Amino acid sequence: MATSTLFGSTTARLRDRRVNLEHRATASRAVRSSLVSLAGLIGSPVTNQAGAEVGRLTDVVARLYGPDPYPPVTGLILRIGRRRAFLPADTVGRLGAGRVELRASRVDLRDFQRRPGEVLLARDVLDHQLVDVDGIQVTRAADLYLAPLVGRTVLVGVDVSLPTLLRRLGPRRWQVRATPERVLDWQSVAPFGEQATEGPAEVRLRASRSALHRLRPADLADILEDLGRSERQQLLGWLEPEQAADALEEMEPAELENLLREARPEHAARLVDEMEPDEAADALRDLQPGERETLLARMPDADAAELRGLLAHREGTAGGAMTTRLVTARLEQTVAEVRAELAAQAEHRTEIDAVVVLDAAGRLVADIPLFDLVVAEDSSPLTDLVAWLAQFGDPVTLPPDTRLARAADRLVAARKSSLLVVDADGRPLGRILADDILDALLPERGRLHFRRFLQ
Amino acid sequence: MSTRTGLGPAAPATPDAVNSTAGKASSSRGRRRGLRRIAAVAMVAGPGLVAANAGNDAAGIATYASAGSQFTYGTLFFMVLVTVALVMVQEMAVRLGAHTGKGLGALIREQFSLRLTALAVGCLLLANTGLVVSEFAGIGAAFELLGVPKWAVVPPAAALLWALVLFGSYRWAERIFLVMSLAFFSYPIAMVLGHPHWGEVGRNLAVPHLRPSSDFVLLAVALIGTTVSPYMQFYAAAGVVDRGAKPEEYKLIRADAVLGAVFACVISLTIIIATASAIGGSGPLQSAAEAARALEPVAGPGAELLFAFGLLGASALAGAVVPLSASYAIGEAAGVERSVSRRFRDAPLFLGVFTAQIALGAIVALTPVDVIQLLIGTQVLQGLISPIVLVYLLVLTNRRSLLGAAANGPRYRIAATAVVVGVALMSTVLLVQTILGWLGLA
Repeated sequence: MATSTLFGSTTARLRDRRVNLEHRATASRAVRSSLVSLAGLIGSPVTNQAGAEVGRLTDVVARLYGPDPYPPVTGLILRIGRRRAFLPADTVGRLGAGRVELRASRVDLRDFQRRPGEVLLARDVLDHQLVDVDGIQVTRAADLYLAPLVGRTVLVGVDVSLPTLLRRLGPRRWQVRATPERVLDWQSVAPFGEQATEGPAEVRLRASRSALHRLRPADLADILEDLGRSERQQLLGWLEPEQAADALEEMEPAELENLLREARPEHAARLVDEMEPDEAADALRDLQPGERETLLARMPDADAAELRGLLAHREGTAGGAMTTRLVTARLEQTVAEVRAELAAQAEHRTEIDAVVVLDAAGRLVADIPLFDLVVAEDSSPLTDLVAWLAQFGDPVTLPPDTRLARAADRLVAARKSSLLVVDADGRPLGRILADDILDALLPERGRLHFRRFLQ
Repeated sequence: MSTRTGLGPAAPATPDAVNSTAGKASSSRGRRRGLRRIAAVAMVAGPGLVAANAGNDAAGIATYASAGSQFTYGTLFFMVLVTVALVMVQEMAVRLGAHTGKGLGALIREQFSLRLTALAVGCLLLANTGLVVSEFAGIGAAFELLGVPKWAVVPPAAALLWALVLFGSYRWAERIFLVMSLAFFSYPIAMVLGHPHWGEVGRNLAVPHLRPSSDFVLLAVALIGTTVSPYMQFYAAAGVVDRGAKPEEYKLIRADAVLGAVFACVISLTIIIATASAIGGSGPLQSAAEAARALEPVAGPGAELLFAFGLLGASALAGAVVPLSASYAIGEAAGVERSVSRRFRDAPLFLGVFTAQIALGAIVALTPVDVIQLLIGTQVLQGLISPIVLVYLLVLTNRRSLLGAAANGPRYRIAATAVVVGVALMSTVLLVQTILGWLGLA
């Protein structure tokens, strides 16, 4: 009895599994048959309604930068004898595996003119670099898949798998077969059309692709390091300067140096200006004096002066590694006022871990950690807080020419997350954070690109 | 600053450890800037020189020494031709790198059909695997001079190089190898001290002549292969791209490339002349020990030791860079992750190709073929493949759509085409000869 139920349930399970597998197979067959491989299309014959060959397909035109989520195919480029001609998409009847049928028997051929936002898929996108936003990597398009969607053909995905490359190397019969094993949805890639004319402005904002904004700065930095020169500049152009600057702060110094040198000076200056001052100073230090001046000259005067001040300090000293982003307060202010000040500085949250209290002459009185501000009453004046903190000793300070190794010792001894850098008169110049010290102390890690062998 | 995960050492756990690493790390970037400054004054410290130095590796030394022992000064004029070819080819490679900011692998993938890309990449892989074989054979030969059998040395050396590159302490090893390979700079001194017949040398350098013998053609192709090797062009372009050179700096880059190429060829010429005056006319080179005799005027009885030292350094130096540069170019063309700090799961193609080349190179180097024959054979393979890669280079530099105004002008195009055709002609002659030889018709 028990065995029979067990047996029965097993067969039922097996049957269910088989049915499921069949379902999946049919589904994937259906997907596969509806997808058209671009690599397989190129070079295929184009026939008119009567079945006579008009010419051979050389490229597919799509509007890459436009309002549509999936780029629609706007036309085909044919080779007829020695002439290249353009066919608008509405004359196409069927785009299938390895052949194209036209809707009419007579075709009206024109010469191809690029319209805004259009690219040639085979020439500009296939085999070129693109950013896979989900996988956070730079890859090359091994194949592009087109699919019919409500009366027109759209570009739905990019294939990035190695087997697809092998398929394209094979005979014609393999080439036309779509093999969607590792396909990225078009929504989650950022392609580069080097030759594409820019669309209208609001379209460009769309093209800046919400997808890219999902990336963390460190991921963006990785991607920027892997891109070719023109692609890299294009991607930087799509990003908001603030977001780009955050990514630049995460880049390898040598790579960042290259990026700044190849960008337009105005753009590079804008990016460096957006970076946190200590990172910006690091980046500028790596450039040659002439290049450095070019960028500084294009920044707002106040920012340039601040950076020049930082650059005056030697690398490997506290002054060279500090950030000048200080939140200062006076003794008579209340905790609530200081909190409002902090809220206004939210974009620099990674650089702030304490509030500096100054006397009327601008000299350092105390350094209040954020924790103590959080637990303090809104209405209490800073005087009380400072008095309470005095029991833990004076704030730990360093002169700007302290070697970093020494600064690290002081930091460890003080059990703090940052130290203040002060000048000879006791005026705070900046703050040196634990992560800056770590960066300086840890040997270069991992990420050994081939390029390190070339320097 | 980035604090991304990698395979590096863990953070120092104690203040003492912090102290010990502090000075080193904080000064490393300062030192790099100092170097940069020197390089700005004389860009000669650039990839051109490194590439030139890497060209004088084990197989190169063997080929040049063989040229000297077999034909005395007879190959000198041919080497002058090869120098011209190398200068032009290197110039084209760095021009592509500087103006596009992309490596050759990426450019070929974007500009040619996939099948042609596969052909180029396949050729590069074949040529480079041959080179890796010769590097390990060189390591084996160096130790055999010291009396250690090669089967005891090559496998551990391969494993060590592989691990050094993948686990990232290669930078130090590289410096040691570089210093060791400086031993070969004793060749110019050896040449002067060996009292060659300067009149003969001058005549052979300046008066055009080629010998129509099959041995000469074989060696000529080996000379082409070891000087204008396919990997060299990929390496030169990658070097320029990675230094972020801009089109505006192209004049400096070109000077660096040209100087590097000329310098490499001058060193090659001194090796040929020094060997010719020591053992010239004694027929084909028999062994590494025989090649070492060219250094006797400098080192006397220590010649073998000095030679072994240089051979080991140069071979080990190239033994890591050569497979890496091929993996890099292939990764670039396929568009996959390429970094030695990735795990195998993340960069299977890049690391797989790298590992396979080293493994294959070490295995082939262990075959009981005569070392000198093996070394020259790998260079002949390079010479046969070289024209194929040169055609790609030529087509790319001719494209206005790619380089704009920096594309080859009509006169340069004729000259470059002549170089490529010349190289291809030598290879074809050798191929025809070999096939006729197999058929018993030669």
